[in-house]
Amino acid sequence: MLLRRSSRLIKPHIGLYSTVVEPKLNVDEFRTIEDNPVNHSKQHIGKYYKIDDGLKRKLFSQGGLPKKYEKQIKTFNEACLMVRPQAIEIMEYINRTDFSKPVVRYLLYGERGAGKTMTMAHLAHYGHENGFCLVHVPYAPDWYKRPKEFGPSATHEGMVDLPLDAASWLIHFKSQNNDLLTKSEVGISKTYDWSKREQTTAGSKLIELVDHGINRAKYASDVIAALMDEIKIASTAGKIKTMVLIDGYNSFFNEQTRVFSDTRKKHPVTPDKVTLTQPFINITNFDWCNGVCVLSVDIFGMLGWERESYLPRYLLGKEGFEHLDPFVPIKMDKYDERQFDSCISYYVNRKWIQNTAQGFDKELKFLSNSNPYKLMELCNSV
Amino acid sequence: MLLKSTLKLLNNPVNRLLINRINSFNYGTVTSSINLDFLKRDKTSKAMKAYLERAQQHDEFMKTQNEEFKIGKRHLANMMGEDPVIYEDQEKIDEAISYLMPSALYDKRARPMMKPPEKIFPERKAAEFDETGRAHHFLFYTSKPNFFQLLYDAVEHLNGLNKFEDNMTRQQKSVDPALRLELSGSEWINQDQLELKLVENIQPVEYRYFVNVMNRLIEHPYSFRVKDFIDIYRRPLMNQTIILDIPKPHIDKDGKSFITVYECLRKKARGDVTVRFPGSGKILINGQDVTYFEYDQSREQILFPLIFTEMLDKVDIEANVEGGGPSGQAGAIRWGIAMGLRSFVDADVVEKMRYAGLLQRDYRRRERKKPGQEGARRKFTWKKR
Repeated sequence: MLLRRSSRLIKPHIGLYSTVVEPKLNVDEFRTIEDNPVNHSKQHIGKYYKIDDGLKRKLFSQGGLPKKYEKQIKTFNEACLMVRPQAIEIMEYINRTDFSKPVVRYLLYGERGAGKTMTMAHLAHYGHENGFCLVHVPYAPDWYKRPKEFGPSATHEGMVDLPLDAASWLIHFKSQNNDLLTKSEVGISKTYDWSKREQTTAGSKLIELVDHGINRAKYASDVIAALMDEIKIASTAGKIKTMVLIDGYNSFFNEQTRVFSDTRKKHPVTPDKVTLTQPFINITNFDWCNGVCVLSVDIFGMLGWERESYLPRYLLGKEGFEHLDPFVPIKMDKYDERQFDSCISYYVNRKWIQNTAQGFDKELKFLSNSNPYKLMELCNSV
Repeated sequence: MLLKSTLKLLNNPVNRLLINRINSFNYGTVTSSINLDFLKRDKTSKAMKAYLERAQQHDEFMKTQNEEFKIGKRHLANMMGEDPVIYEDQEKIDEAISYLMPSALYDKRARPMMKPPEKIFPERKAAEFDETGRAHHFLFYTSKPNFFQLLYDAVEHLNGLNKFEDNMTRQQKSVDPALRLELSGSEWINQDQLELKLVENIQPVEYRYFVNVMNRLIEHPYSFRVKDFIDIYRRPLMNQTIILDIPKPHIDKDGKSFITVYECLRKKARGDVTVRFPGSGKILINGQDVTYFEYDQSREQILFPLIFTEMLDKVDIEANVEGGGPSGQAGAIRWGIAMGLRSFVDADVVEKMRYAGLLQRDYRRRERKKPGQEGARRKFTWKKR
């Protein structure tokens, strides 16, 4: 309060509005020069690492980073992520995993703005560097809450199709795994007949399947179902290793959606009536190996009235919980002392916080309660 | 014939005097033999007579009222099942009345009460003239004798002081500055109070006369000599620096000192706040941390006293609050924290807190909606037809 109001009184000095700072030779304490998440370990916790611009475009151009964070990245002129202990924890588990066993499901949960999505992004980067095939859903609730287009499915009686959402997810999948898909010789196991004239023959590459979905949005949902099956088969066979990252996983088990079975928007359907749901529930099943699933449950994935708790059992419901069980729950906490200090010094370094009157950090800590998202919001005006 | 003319003569008050004198000389004439008793009765003027009647009535009335009050007190003691002796105390009576006849009327004067009759029936001016109709007071014919007496006294004092000053100058003595009147903490009584004091109605212009002459009096270097006279007409200014008694902290079993502030009120929120010292800046509101409040505004409200006293990470706060909305609850907690923190900071910080308005209860409540209006103040959109 005191900070915010006095921030208008800051003396206009040079470069007030410029957030670009000159590159320094010595590395600040809050940064790490280790840009490869594969090498991240406990000593990097709380430090920021930079994602290369090209790589960022490749991994997250279709989503994956929160919109407000994207905006901040633009302002700061660099994409920096903080290494959170939960990400390190999951990485350590993955490094020690025996991939011949059924897939392990990790479930991130926590309050709003605790950093679930950012940790997912960090892990996506890690998976990409580690040679995993990424099955990354940036934010599943978008499909059910803000569908771009819906219509009855051609292939499944009584189901609803989200052709545009499915196609754009395929584009996302392709841009994330382009290198891997073009290089690898993984062929598909059977022939898929889409229509009288269109078919994808057995043995053709996975990328052909993906391309078909992108070009013919009508079949995108079916392509995704086929793709998930193929990925499972290929992974189990040991041809590829796969990392499944789904943000807002609980939306697959919601009681209702804003997808309608009719054009007059009278009858909303349940998620299991949407063709996109089944493939992703399928790939998070334990009946395959050589892969890893990192899922997250988000309270804002629910429709407005059911937001009492952020705990997995409440958000997933009985069905979802039983589907995932057993899984490794990982709680996203708020910033601890070190991470908070690191975040503040990063903002000061970026000149995002300019009013560093005595005790400003304590004040911010109290107001934000060390919640990363809240802190970011508060600092916008400081 | 003679009698008639004599009577005529006697009715004239000037002649009556004359006749009295004639009587005393006792000339033994015919006139002396006339019985003048009826004249004696007539001596009291009509005004005096009316006054005497009224006074008598009033006295009787007050007497019965006093009797009733006495009996009433005994009844009250009976009803409350207590010793009548303690019902001599007015406080006890008030207590009993508010217990027996509870009233929620806003104006306290409108609530049932039982007080000595002297307090309820206004005082009357005593007779200002004697039985012969002659005024006691030399300023009676100004119609405001008490007021003009006051002005007269003031000028009299002023003259006396002037005289004294002249004497002192002659003796080449100066005023001791330490003796000067200290009047910064008081002011002249207002017109209403003056009227009550004088038992006379005065005009605003007359009140101004009073203030002017009194001001001239206190400006006099030797005004301390008439301090008693001045003090009658002054009242103390509202004492701004009321030192609220700051409670001493209790010690809990961990050796930490703590203060609990009960009845933290704001709008419709009610709560209590416990401040523990030394602490580490933890805060618990209804068992939850500061995320209990979703809005920044509410969190800032709680933060304010802590930042202001620089005690943010030196105390722990526990608050229970219910009723009202977020801003009311935050305001209640803010007040509770500020009141609790007084015990752990210096006196001058407490004074600063008072200046900042932290220790002031916010009595504002929701204003009711009025019929014929859209809200409390807002009117419906005006439409020509």
